[in-house]
Amino acid sequence: MMHLPILPILLPLLAGILLLLLRPLGLQVQRMVGFAAAFALLMLAVWLFDIALAGQRQVYALGNWPTPFGITLVFDQLAALMLLVTAVLAVGALWYAIVTEIDAQGSHFHVLFQMQLFGLNGAFLTGDAFNLFVFFEVLLLASYSLLLHGGGKQRTVAGLHYVVVNLVGSTVFLFALGALYGALGTLNIADMAAKVAALPAEREGLVMAAGLLLLLVFGLKAAMFPLYLWLPAAYARTSAPVAALFAVMTKVGVYAIIRVHGTVFGADAGNLAYFYAPWLLGLGLITLVLAALGVLAAFRLRFQVAYLVLASVAMLLIAVGLHSETGLAAALYYLVHSTLLAGGLFLLADVIVRGRGAYADRFDPGMSLPHHALLGGLFMFAAVAALGLPPLSGFFGKLWILQAALEHPWRWAVLATVLLSSALLLIALARSGSVLFYKVKDRPDAADPVLPTRIPAFGLSLVAVLWLLAAVPLLVVLAQPVAEVMQQIAAQTLDVAGYRAAVFDPAVGGK
Amino acid sequence: MEGLVALSIGVLVACGVYLVLRASTFPVVMGLTLLSYATNLFLFAMGRLAIGVPAIVRPDAAGYADPLPQALVLTAIVIAFGMTAFAIVLALKARGETGSDHVDGRTPHPNPSPSRGEGLRGSLAPPRPLRERGLGGEGESP
Amino acid sequence: MVTSFDLPVAVLLPFVGALLAASFSALHRVAAAWVAGLVTLGSLLMLMPALQSVFAGETVVQSWAWMPSIGLDFAFRLDGLGALFALMIIVIGLLVILYARYYLSAKDSMGRFFAYMLTFMGSMLGVVLSENLLQLMVFWELTSLSSFMLISYWQHRKDARQGARMALAITGGGGLALLAGILLLGQMVGSYNLSDVLLAGEEIRAHALYLPTLVLIAIGVFTKSAQFPFHFWLPNAMSAPTPVSAYLHSATMVKAGIFLLARFFPVLAGTPEWSWLIGTVGMLTLLVGAFVALFQHDLKGLLAYSTISHLGLITLLFGLGTELAAVAALFHIINHATFKASLFMVAGIIDHETGTRDMRRINGLLKYMPHTAVLAMIAAAAMAGVPLLNGFLSKEMFFDQAVVASGESLWGQAIPVMATLAGVFSVAYSLRFIHDVFFNGEPINLPKMPHEPPPFMRIPVDVLVVLCIAVGMLPMFTVAPLLAVAVQGTLQAAPPEYSLAIWHGFNEPLLMSFLALTGGAAVYAVRKPLFAWYESHVKGQQLRHWYDWKIDKLLQVARVVTRGFDRGALQDNLFWVLGFTLLMGLAGFLSSTAPLLGGRALLPLDAVSLVVGATLILASLLSVVLHRERLIALVVLGAVGLVVSLAFVKFSAPDLALTQLSVEIVTIVLLMLALYFLPQYTPRTSAVWRKWRDGILAGLLGLGSAVLALAVMTRETATLADYFVMQSVPGGGGKNVVNVILVDFRGFDTMGEIAVLALAGLGIFALLKQIKLYAPATDSSGRMWVLEANPFILQTFSRVLFPLMLMVAVFVFLRGHNLPGGGFIAGLIAALAIVLQNLANGIGWTAQRIRSDMHSWLAAGLLVATGTGLVAMALGYPFLTSAYTHVHWPVVGDFELASAMFFDTGVFLVVVGATVMILVELGKLNRLDAPAPVRQGEV
Repeated sequence: MMHLPILPILLPLLAGILLLLLRPLGLQVQRMVGFAAAFALLMLAVWLFDIALAGQRQVYALGNWPTPFGITLVFDQLAALMLLVTAVLAVGALWYAIVTEIDAQGSHFHVLFQMQLFGLNGAFLTGDAFNLFVFFEVLLLASYSLLLHGGGKQRTVAGLHYVVVNLVGSTVFLFALGALYGALGTLNIADMAAKVAALPAEREGLVMAAGLLLLLVFGLKAAMFPLYLWLPAAYARTSAPVAALFAVMTKVGVYAIIRVHGTVFGADAGNLAYFYAPWLLGLGLITLVLAALGVLAAFRLRFQVAYLVLASVAMLLIAVGLHSETGLAAALYYLVHSTLLAGGLFLLADVIVRGRGAYADRFDPGMSLPHHALLGGLFMFAAVAALGLPPLSGFFGKLWILQAALEHPWRWAVLATVLLSSALLLIALARSGSVLFYKVKDRPDAADPVLPTRIPAFGLSLVAVLWLLAAVPLLVVLAQPVAEVMQQIAAQTLDVAGYRAAVFDPAVGGK
Repeated sequence: MEGLVALSIGVLVACGVYLVLRASTFPVVMGLTLLSYATNLFLFAMGRLAIGVPAIVRPDAAGYADPLPQALVLTAIVIAFGMTAFAIVLALKARGETGSDHVDGRTPHPNPSPSRGEGLRGSLAPPRPLRERGLGGEGESP
Repeated sequence: MVTSFDLPVAVLLPFVGALLAASFSALHRVAAAWVAGLVTLGSLLMLMPALQSVFAGETVVQSWAWMPSIGLDFAFRLDGLGALFALMIIVIGLLVILYARYYLSAKDSMGRFFAYMLTFMGSMLGVVLSENLLQLMVFWELTSLSSFMLISYWQHRKDARQGARMALAITGGGGLALLAGILLLGQMVGSYNLSDVLLAGEEIRAHALYLPTLVLIAIGVFTKSAQFPFHFWLPNAMSAPTPVSAYLHSATMVKAGIFLLARFFPVLAGTPEWSWLIGTVGMLTLLVGAFVALFQHDLKGLLAYSTISHLGLITLLFGLGTELAAVAALFHIINHATFKASLFMVAGIIDHETGTRDMRRINGLLKYMPHTAVLAMIAAAAMAGVPLLNGFLSKEMFFDQAVVASGESLWGQAIPVMATLAGVFSVAYSLRFIHDVFFNGEPINLPKMPHEPPPFMRIPVDVLVVLCIAVGMLPMFTVAPLLAVAVQGTLQAAPPEYSLAIWHGFNEPLLMSFLALTGGAAVYAVRKPLFAWYESHVKGQQLRHWYDWKIDKLLQVARVVTRGFDRGALQDNLFWVLGFTLLMGLAGFLSSTAPLLGGRALLPLDAVSLVVGATLILASLLSVVLHRERLIALVVLGAVGLVVSLAFVKFSAPDLALTQLSVEIVTIVLLMLALYFLPQYTPRTSAVWRKWRDGILAGLLGLGSAVLALAVMTRETATLADYFVMQSVPGGGGKNVVNVILVDFRGFDTMGEIAVLALAGLGIFALLKQIKLYAPATDSSGRMWVLEANPFILQTFSRVLFPLMLMVAVFVFLRGHNLPGGGFIAGLIAALAIVLQNLANGIGWTAQRIRSDMHSWLAAGLLVATGTGLVAMALGYPFLTSAYTHVHWPVVGDFELASAMFFDTGVFLVVVGATVMILVELGKLNRLDAPAPVRQGEV
């Protein structure tokens, strides 16, 4: 079927429009339609993933204009993987938002949610650099409103920072794109790669500057040092389902680096081949250290989780910065693990916070919360996975990244940083788990706030948590099949020549 | 001529950056607007400058300006408009929530009072001294 | 081809048992204990066939692929060494389970305890039975995790929580070092399977990575086996229930490090580096442990330090590097496990029966619990190395090896001396254990009246003590076969000649034993002044305090760094982003030797442009200079926008000029509306240094962007432009190339763009719905706002203008495809028309006449635009494929009908919808007219 690549973009867009039209029918209808759309997207993503693994890249010439003049969508295994991860995450987050009625705390939650997916999926599928910018803006604007959904002082301030920083980022994005167009004369990613491969030496500096500016923009989305300052507050202050969905937002940045830089400045790029990689690796290492310190320093659970997300992004940056096929495969394995885990952690943290009542997510010893043992067990499970301790998926991902790092000249730096930061995370999470679940009082002091006796919609919200956390054991049990898939995806992604050939296939486009 | 355009872009960027770095929301939004002007000019200039060429297809035209950057600028203008509008309304919202138009929700002057000045800073600063707190106390040896 | 899977089953069975124990304990209190016992027996049974093969001299390996991509197999191995450890884990495990069933009080949850216990047992079996080193790592860290849960079993106790966290931090952290070491090992060998690694000893020892590998693995070993200077976690782990101490902290977990030394003995041992590192640390641990043990008043504290000391002894033996030393080490592993586990159980019984573990209070228990006392004394004597007990035999072997190792060097000479010294202290603390607890007068102020424990609690101790005696007296008939296979499994070669005889004649080791026994008695005799000296000089300088201090420091550093960097301040945040932008751009240019500018011919500068450019620059600067006067600055800003539009006119881009102009108007109106609610002046808040800093950064960034622009403009690049110009009319059916690009060539961008606009509208709607904002009653100078806001002249004009503006909008829309114009500009004009009505006539008046929910405009616009694309799909073309035809309309004439028109209609609708929504919603805020509680200092 020729229209496959556009379907994941159209589905949420049409769902968003439909939800907008159905607005007068009330929240229940919005919920049903929204969830049905998210679920349909998941089914579609599963189906597409299957197709992607079996077959070749599919190129879709929008408007039937030939590459590089029109905009092309490129559906390959990497894009299919991102679609799938996003859809899984979206279903969990949306379910949680519905059962906890967080979606009712403001206007347009469901429309915005679908538009967010529209932006994300578009960013994953497009093969055009400027179109990528447009989809970045779509997903950003949707994310601004989702982040602010529900309101409140601190959320508003965090949202303001997030918005302004991203607006500056968009400015840099346009400067970088403009300079690339000025130097290369094209906007199609594959065509850019072709132009860079034949780049005259006198233009190298210009293209490298633009390439690094673009890296900065993607690094800003990915929360790379020193650009991550927007992340902790934004993730910690927004509502739980939005934070869970945002777990994939940082990965969009990483994806864009893999896609754009990996293609344009890939193996064929002559002098410019992988010139960005040392930056990525070095900054990733610094990010990891600061993230680990942040996890240790956090006074609140949600800030701690936000810094954990930062640490996982740092691991990804490092793995991508190794610019080897093994590194990329390991990065993708880790990406799946960390995205779904982070989503699950944010939801779990919210369940805990709701159980702690007025203690909220402060690391203050309170009374034993409802469902103490179950929540404690889940927290430990998620913490072990996030730390990268065995026997959960974090360990396997970390191990794989470290093995890839051993082939790299910076192996000692990577090994030392990754392992030492793991130790810091270990200390930090043991402390917070101990305070939240072990250090409970037998009897409340007179001054202590009263804890809720039950957590509203506990069972239903736990469904979402388990849905996302289920990825962790699955990635262990199915380690090998998953690893093989990741290797396959990494091989296809790094095959820049194949990508270019597919995009310039004369069978595609042309009036 | 190119030099003049580059200079204008440079000045717009410099002014925009300076305003964006101010502590109140309104100058920040103004700075963002200036930056978007700079972006538009820059993107446009990436198609190289052309004077006196037709804007529409004509059989007798000697040459055309590169239309693609123009189209990109148009898209960028529209997006920047949406973003600016969102940012200024968000600034209003922040003003309503925090009672201040400081970018961090703080009351800027003359003496920042701790209660209202908390803003985001409060997220990481310990509300109570270290020793009394859960984690701080936990690490202590008896 | 592997057909049997008894090894993995034996390892995994306890994990299943853990789940069962946790779930069955709800049915009956003791059910968990039964599950634990039966599961452990089951594991033993599963191992039996493989054990038989091992005792017949084989190595059993059972392997399946798990994650070959990283060299991880699901692989198990049973050889002599594994068999020794597995038997120890299971046998002592069974005894501990029996003991724990009676130890735990009615308040303690049996299910939780045994679930943890079985998890630990499974992990430990996994460590010793793993063939694959990565899998070994998995189980290794699992032992750390399960021990964390066991130590913190009594969660309400602070010491339990702290001890557990410390143990986890140190053993888990050491595990990370071990992981690094194993990764290097795998890197050198090319495989993580022990079968390969054990054969590659020569190669590894000669490899450049040998030393780092050795150090990293050693750190893993030292942390796990509580070697100096990592030993301090072990005494702190004594807050665990005593069965846990007996099992984990004497017999099994702490031996995991030792196990690893034995495992890698054929691979890593035999070099000077090995001997120095392992031997020195072992010797230090031996001495420090034995010395500190004497001064512990807590029964379990004494045993913990004694354990540290014995672990040091074993490490030292492996560090000596000879085969016979390895034999001695293995033998001592067995002996230590038996006597130490039984001693811990005794300590638990005493704690259980007296309510305290303080040896200054527990005295003279012999007459209250004679049976237990006898057992304890025998076990303690074994610990001291008294002849006819198992501890004596291995200690003799140790002394013997110490003498052998003494060699010529001064350091070598010191080994027997220090070994004897450690023996002295070991005898002294064993004596203290016996004499203080069971003799030494009457008990002091005990919480409970002591008596013998329940018989089943004693049986495990009976069994272990009998083993001590049996091995001590009849080594050849008891331990010899097990030791033999263990030695073979460790060395991966035929065992050396060694003798397990009790009597070797009068020789140096015997002399050393004698010295140790008499010296120990002497030290014990002078213990009182020693204790006083210890209390005043040594105590308090423990590593544990240093560790706590370090962790506190670490937390402080983490907080300072995090708070220093992440201060929640937007200005810092932006400064980093912008500063980094400068750095990245600079780095890009500097990483190439290419010239900054190219050689393209430039356009001449004319006077008009110069004036326009100067205006632009001046206006921009003015807006910065005047930015505190917000209204004025805003007007200047509008002027900048106008000049930019002029620039577009100059450079032949009329579409851009029109768009910029119309957006400019809407933006300024919007900012004006917003400014009403904001302070009219910006206070001076920035410090001077900050202004300079920001100014310099701004200047540099301005310079950078100018250079970037020039770098492109001075070069010639072939672009896609020609294609668009060529194809615009034949392909897109429009003469206005820019518009055709927007609605056709790159229509998908435009779709995203209107989605952004729609989202902005929706987002602003959502924001404004919840906004809590009051209009100020006066302007900043204190003048009242004029409330009758709709001046008559404006009203009249606006009503006349309205249809005119709509007509202009339609006109601009229709000509868009062929002449400058299009849906976007038309939409803005139409929106302005509506907004003007609102401004001039008031919301109420307008709402009566233009009754429309802007949400439906947005939805309709998006739907029309998307629908245009969908129609193409329905006709079998890609999304957004356009078509056009020329229709003849009477009166109007030839008229071109392009599908792109529909698309542009969508754009038009969204633009009108979003713009009106934004401005009208913002305008509605005016109606709040609240009594403006503007407090002093807020504006």
